[in-house]
Amino acid sequence: MFVIGMRAPEVAATVRAGQFVNLAWDSGPLLRRPFSVYRSDGDNIEIVLKAVGGGTEQLLAMEVGDRVSCLGPLGRGFRLAPGARSVVLISGGLGVAPMPLAARDAKAAGMRVTWVHGARTAAELCAESDGEKVVWATDDGSRGTAGTAVAAAPGADLVLACGPNRMLAAVAERWPDAQVAVETYMGCGTGVCLGCAVPLRRGGYDRACTEGPVYRAADIDWPALPSHLPYAVTA
Amino acid sequence: MPDMSVEVGGLKLRGPVLAASGTFGYGTEVPLLERRALGAMVSKGIFLRARAGTAPPRIVETPSGMLNAIGLQGPGAEALIRDYAPKWAEWEFPVLVNINGESASEYGEMASLLDGVPGVAGFEINISCPNVEQGGLYFGNDPRAAAAVTDAVRKRTRLPVWVKLTPMVSDIGVIARAVESAGADALCAINTFVGMSIDLNAYGPRLSFRTGGLSGPAIRPLAVHLAHQAARAVHIPVIGIGGITKAEDGLEFLVAGCTAIQVGTATFVNPKAVAEVHDGIAAFLAARGFSSLAELPRYLPRD
Repeated sequence: MFVIGMRAPEVAATVRAGQFVNLAWDSGPLLRRPFSVYRSDGDNIEIVLKAVGGGTEQLLAMEVGDRVSCLGPLGRGFRLAPGARSVVLISGGLGVAPMPLAARDAKAAGMRVTWVHGARTAAELCAESDGEKVVWATDDGSRGTAGTAVAAAPGADLVLACGPNRMLAAVAERWPDAQVAVETYMGCGTGVCLGCAVPLRRGGYDRACTEGPVYRAADIDWPALPSHLPYAVTA
Repeated sequence: MPDMSVEVGGLKLRGPVLAASGTFGYGTEVPLLERRALGAMVSKGIFLRARAGTAPPRIVETPSGMLNAIGLQGPGAEALIRDYAPKWAEWEFPVLVNINGESASEYGEMASLLDGVPGVAGFEINISCPNVEQGGLYFGNDPRAAAAVTDAVRKRTRLPVWVKLTPMVSDIGVIARAVESAGADALCAINTFVGMSIDLNAYGPRLSFRTGGLSGPAIRPLAVHLAHQAARAVHIPVIGIGGITKAEDGLEFLVAGCTAIQVGTATFVNPKAVAEVHDGIAAFLAARGFSSLAELPRYLPRD
């Protein structure tokens, strides 16, 4: 996992946990690429990424001082219900992306924060904790609980989750009221192309980029949401 | 600044750069979209009744382009009249409604319903959407069906009627002449090409609809040629569409015989694309010493 920081004062000033930016750069792919905002500090924001294809490799090859076009903050982020006293942040792999901002806001609201990191192996686990309690889960048992992050997670007043859609579907089974940030294909990120359709339990679709990417877990029609993406995006 | 106004298909427009259907929503939902320099807007395609659209995945990026199969998701004609048209009525540029149907008579019904609604300045008949099971492309590649749809709309409105053509034909001139004879005021050339992309992990199509419409710079030379062929075949104006991302791209269509142009996929990447193409064309004309767009030399030998 790599972290890229960029100077984006307007985004940094207003971004909320779970919102994303849509990036384009010279000689990059045609469509922008969405990234959850990972951290925000002063005039700067950070995103996290893995090298999964041509686009991310180009981003990682950039030098300090190079410029990207950054559209955002986009979408609706996590909503921290007033009155909640504890929150658990469940992330699988790059799903950790929106969690540092969520932890920051939850702590500011006086909540007790527990992080749950899941991955296939210990080598792929994230280490974010910001000094709070951490639970680890690995598929192979090489660190923490053997099994999924969802199974390892303790209960809390508020459950926030981000990761592979299969993991989020499991979150929905256990905590229908959890808030989950979903991963979809994305075209424009601004609400006009209707490419990031999220199937809803009540029927029809809405837009991950505009009504999402954060949803009440039980509102999504999980079997109809693609769980495998041909290119990895983090939204 | 050069005079950028154009007259196209019954409408006097302040500029030649239009927002293409399906790439600007209904123009009201997205604050990021730049409306400053729009010559006109064509609404997202609409059917009589609300449609949910196709299941995801709906889009996939391809080299210099994208495939989409949205399936004309939309709220239906009554919601459009109630929620969007009143806003359009206050704008300083016209809005045309992209209308769709499963039969010629349904297209006619749409025209009847929308004719006279304040805010609706005209129609773009969509006989070229590749992503619906009924209608769409079927009407666009048969000259008699294309003419029948055009005629059904023409009989029910005195507003401008434009017809958006599909590239998926062996001779676009035949379709162009058929809809011109049926009373179209202008042609829009072209809609997306039908394409397919295969996921080598799933051993199947990437899109749930299996196929999708290819747009973006990948199709631009094909589109310039087809728009040019259409313009040669008819005496009504042709509006060029296909992969326009910057002023020079739009100028290619204009020189090739188009009266105006539509910017589509570029808006997905750059919400200010229409305005930037407009400003770039004005700057080009000024730099070459033209005082109006009308003075731009054209390459349009007649068939």
